[in-house]
Amino acid sequence: MTTHPSENDKIVDIVKVTKIYPPDVMALRDISLTARRGELIFLTGASGAGKTTLLKLLTCLERPTKGVIEIGGNDINTLTSKAVQKLRQRIGVAYQDFRLLPKQTVFQNIAMAMEVRFKSPKEIKQRVDELLEMLAITDKRNNPSGKLSRGEQQRVAIARAAANAPPLILADEPTGNLDDESTARVMSLFSQLNSQGSTIIIATHDASIYKNTHHRLLHLQHGQITEKDTV
Amino acid sequence: MSILSFIFSQTARNIRHSWSVQLMTTFTVTLSVLIFSFFYLIYTNMVEAGSRLGDDLRLIVYLDETPSSERKALYTKNIHNFGKVEKVFFISPDEAFQRLEKQLGTENDVLKDLTSSFLPYSIDIYPSKELRNLSRIKSFSDYLSSMPGVSKVQYGHSWIERFSYFIKLLRLIVILSGTLLLFTTIFMVSYTIRLTVVARHQELKVLRYLGATNWYIKGPVLVEGFLLGFLGSTLGLAALYILFQWIKTNFSGPGFMNLFTLSFLPASHTVLILIISVLLCTSGSMISVRKLLRI
Repeated sequence: MTTHPSENDKIVDIVKVTKIYPPDVMALRDISLTARRGELIFLTGASGAGKTTLLKLLTCLERPTKGVIEIGGNDINTLTSKAVQKLRQRIGVAYQDFRLLPKQTVFQNIAMAMEVRFKSPKEIKQRVDELLEMLAITDKRNNPSGKLSRGEQQRVAIARAAANAPPLILADEPTGNLDDESTARVMSLFSQLNSQGSTIIIATHDASIYKNTHHRLLHLQHGQITEKDTV
Repeated sequence: MSILSFIFSQTARNIRHSWSVQLMTTFTVTLSVLIFSFFYLIYTNMVEAGSRLGDDLRLIVYLDETPSSERKALYTKNIHNFGKVEKVFFISPDEAFQRLEKQLGTENDVLKDLTSSFLPYSIDIYPSKELRNLSRIKSFSDYLSSMPGVSKVQYGHSWIERFSYFIKLLRLIVILSGTLLLFTTIFMVSYTIRLTVVARHQELKVLRYLGATNWYIKGPVLVEGFLLGFLGSTLGLAALYILFQWIKTNFSGPGFMNLFTLSFLPASHTVLILIISVLLCTSGSMISVRKLLRI
């Protein structure tokens, strides 16, 4: 049996997905979206538009009320818990609330993502140091992440998402707490990962990062998606 | 890096993070093992002493008159009919008198003006091991009493009865303490590990988001339980050995303790206690880890 190349190319396929939080909060309404391998997509929209819900669905932290979500060809509704673990290992997520361990050092927080994939200590050290350098937080390497500023914590969360150079990276408001220089560094990291083949979905309402972009731009409003032309 | 080295390094990190709670649990396991094995040690020594005393156990059957050789053969046949006996001796009054003299030692002059005629003819019966429990001995004694020409049967009835009840009581204590300690150990270990798990709840949540497998989370917790069980029971058994040596040194000598040759638990029993403790602690960990995997 042969597969159509475009089918094979899809990494995320969302078909008519609705998400309702109890009792009756409609977060997403009948949305469909396809992301291809190596694509970079900006997901824009005001607060409460449903961006975070969409990212939660993609990481199996939430399940859709209706519709189908396929990641790498696997329907997340039918995944076993073991398959979910494997899937999460292949998705790097930079959460809006960072989800770092405040007592652990910056190095340990980033290394954790590689440890769960049983990478060697040498490889972990090399990659973490490289990411710290790229995001200009090398001097914070051994500081507990709880002692960092929000901007620094955000960069640690991004470094953790990028650590394994996963095929899919989801970033929720990755530049929300960053100054221009740090924003540029983060975007340069995303560009590099994207050029290496990672699919990246960035949920943001920071217009400065998608201004003049040649990448796809999707707009979420009241739980519904509209595709925009690049700005 | 292999999964095993990850599990061990993670275990070491967990222990470092919650060493005070781990220490308390190890201490609890040590105490539990010490209390249980102490009672068990007393029990095994008492049983051993009982069997040693049983080796000297004999029933003395006093006869009304001197038996003829046919009668002796009949008595021997009847005795063997009841069950296995090791030895049967017919003791004449003269032999009994000589034995009495010997038993009295330097004070045998009290027998100076007496002859053996006041002593009855008797049979000494040494029962086999199968007959040495209280109920069997009792029914053997009743059986012997019912034989024609028997006036009395003696075997230290009340002493054997008391000793047998004491052994039963001890066995009950061992079973009860064992059961209670079993539950205490499982409860304590699973709760301690749950405490460390609660303390690491945020970390486990993040690990889940990063795609940590069940074994990545479960492995270190199970190794923790294994180590707690191994260390706790080893310390408990070591403490028991020290206590045993102290008792042996300070209480051996003439008197009650001299009746018993104290011996430590056999190696196989010690290993069994160790294995059971390790299994209990690992099960305790398993109980708590199942809950945390629901994150």
